[in-house]
Amino acid sequence: MSERTLSGVGATPLSGVGSVVWYRPGEALELDDPPESDAVDPAAERERFEEARDTAREELETERERARERVGDEEAAVFDAHLQFLDDPQIGDAVGDQLDAGLPAEHAVRKGFAGPIEQFEGMEGRMTERADDLRDIRDRLVRLLVGGERTDLSALPEGSVVFAERLTPSDTAQLDPEVVSGFVTATGGRTSHAAIFARSLALPAVVGVGDDLFAVEEGTAVVVDGDTGDVILDPTEETRAAAADTDRAEVRPEPVATSDGEPIEVAANVGQPAELAGAVEQGADGIGLYRTEFLFLERESPPDEDEQYEAYVDALDAFPEGRVVVRTLDVGGDKPIPYLELPEEENPFLGERGVRRSLGVDAGLFETQLRALLRAAADGAGDLAVMVPMVATVEEFEEAREALDSVAADLESEGVAHETPEFGLMIETPSAAFMADEFAARTEFLSIGTNDLTQYVMAASRGNERVSELHDPRHPAVLRAIARTVEGAEGTDAWVGMCGEMAGDPDLTELLVGLGLDELSMSAVTIPDVKANVAETDGEAASALAERTLRASTKREVEQLITDTIENTKS
Amino acid sequence: MERTVTIVPEAGLHARPASQFVQAANEHDAEVTIEKVGSDGGPVNAGSMLAVTSLGAAHSDEVRLVAEGDDAEAALDALEEVLSTPEAGDSEE
Repeated sequence: MSERTLSGVGATPLSGVGSVVWYRPGEALELDDPPESDAVDPAAERERFEEARDTAREELETERERARERVGDEEAAVFDAHLQFLDDPQIGDAVGDQLDAGLPAEHAVRKGFAGPIEQFEGMEGRMTERADDLRDIRDRLVRLLVGGERTDLSALPEGSVVFAERLTPSDTAQLDPEVVSGFVTATGGRTSHAAIFARSLALPAVVGVGDDLFAVEEGTAVVVDGDTGDVILDPTEETRAAAADTDRAEVRPEPVATSDGEPIEVAANVGQPAELAGAVEQGADGIGLYRTEFLFLERESPPDEDEQYEAYVDALDAFPEGRVVVRTLDVGGDKPIPYLELPEEENPFLGERGVRRSLGVDAGLFETQLRALLRAAADGAGDLAVMVPMVATVEEFEEAREALDSVAADLESEGVAHETPEFGLMIETPSAAFMADEFAARTEFLSIGTNDLTQYVMAASRGNERVSELHDPRHPAVLRAIARTVEGAEGTDAWVGMCGEMAGDPDLTELLVGLGLDELSMSAVTIPDVKANVAETDGEAASALAERTLRASTKREVEQLITDTIENTKS
Repeated sequence: MERTVTIVPEAGLHARPASQFVQAANEHDAEVTIEKVGSDGGPVNAGSMLAVTSLGAAHSDEVRLVAEGDDAEAALDALEEVLSTPEAGDSEE
């Protein structure tokens, strides 16, 4: 049989090889016509419904815990929504009316849910996902009521590629990445729950393939390319070998160097403690960006020094041999926090945020955070580095350094164990990039935040889809800002890192090495690929590529140069 | 007792924020309703996930909360906090 390709949306930068296992949860749930209503005892049916609801609640709670352990709080929160839908008074009434009318419980559930599902289906955008949630809950209840067997997604044969019309959060939480080679769904987009789970679990996945998927037979050999969105059926040996080659680049827990021996640190961006284990598993050398906002959000008062200290020590203990770069609180008009009383600003991204607040209205908060950090530096296993965000002027950085020195002096006089960490700043404003030499002379490191730097260099808001073409770090202007930053640090002891989406794009590894970055920090899932690419990169060729891209006049030229290089390397 | 609040989370009253909102409403004894300012639909039960999500309230929309009962003020405080707290990850570096 010859090779065929279906196209969808790639959800992860990973590819997998395996054979198709169809998951059709709805199939067991076909119901016969309801019996005559006088043959039904409404009280008994109501009891059956209540029992099914209790069991569904227990199942959801178990699944929530499993999701929390595997992929973190944020993804697990969807189960809270399911639990609330399950106990929703309006849905309970709708089902109750059907029970009163004499329907058996499973039919009453079907009918009671129909109205709300239809309501959400008719709404726009992400609201249609709520219809999926309701269908998921409805099918769970019906399955429990008819005693249907559940396809056990947690017990699939090794090398399975799960094909399904859609995968609900409860489905994806059962997939074991050690066993399953990937999944493909007919529906869904890059931001669907299934796609987000796939990324958290480092699972190759393609979503949104459409109805063509249903023609694929159980057991078909398949290559899932979560990067391009291709689903290749009956792949040739060649295709299969090429995919197996890229199939989850080997995890390298040890640091890597280019083929000519230049070490490049590959680290993880981490936004909450639950992500630490994943970063270690993917072979991160350390943390290149530890966002501390999670400590401050969703609460009524700021975290005290001890609470922060514990969190920082945990992060340092996760990387006993590595470095953990903690970013000080980065809030501003765009992320208000009740107890901070942030002002309404016309243009929050250009307003009082990051270090501007830390040196002004939030000075007390900044001092507490620095005290916690300096104490953690002494007690945690790894090496701490602290960086301040949104710096635009040399004075700001010097003032921040003075705050650090003063906190160190206080701790010294109090006789509290502490250590002064490496201290650096994020290069995310054009002014900081222009002044990189001045900053490099005053700091231990610079870390380029490409998402904001791109936004400010291109004057294109990162959240605005209308200007998404401009919000791309491959524009020569952004590349020149990066090059200027690296050049600014030449001849000093400061190292230069990059955190942000750009660092995690495996296609750009060679270019970034060529531009002279010492460290790359990214979402944990892309670390193995980037480490593999670093090891294959030749320093001289990389420098030549960087030089050519810096001479390019358009983004298109840059893209072409990168594509050519990748093709040359492959051939 | 009533209060008008602007929704801060980027996702609007969706998935996680909606879930936290409903949970907070159900933790209080007061009867609370929520209504989208400027929309045709009337107020709905703040303790119903179905009702709250079907408002379709988006980031920067205004909603009016009305609470009646012993702990009405505490309920409004708690709900306002949910609505005015961004989600972790709303903004990145």
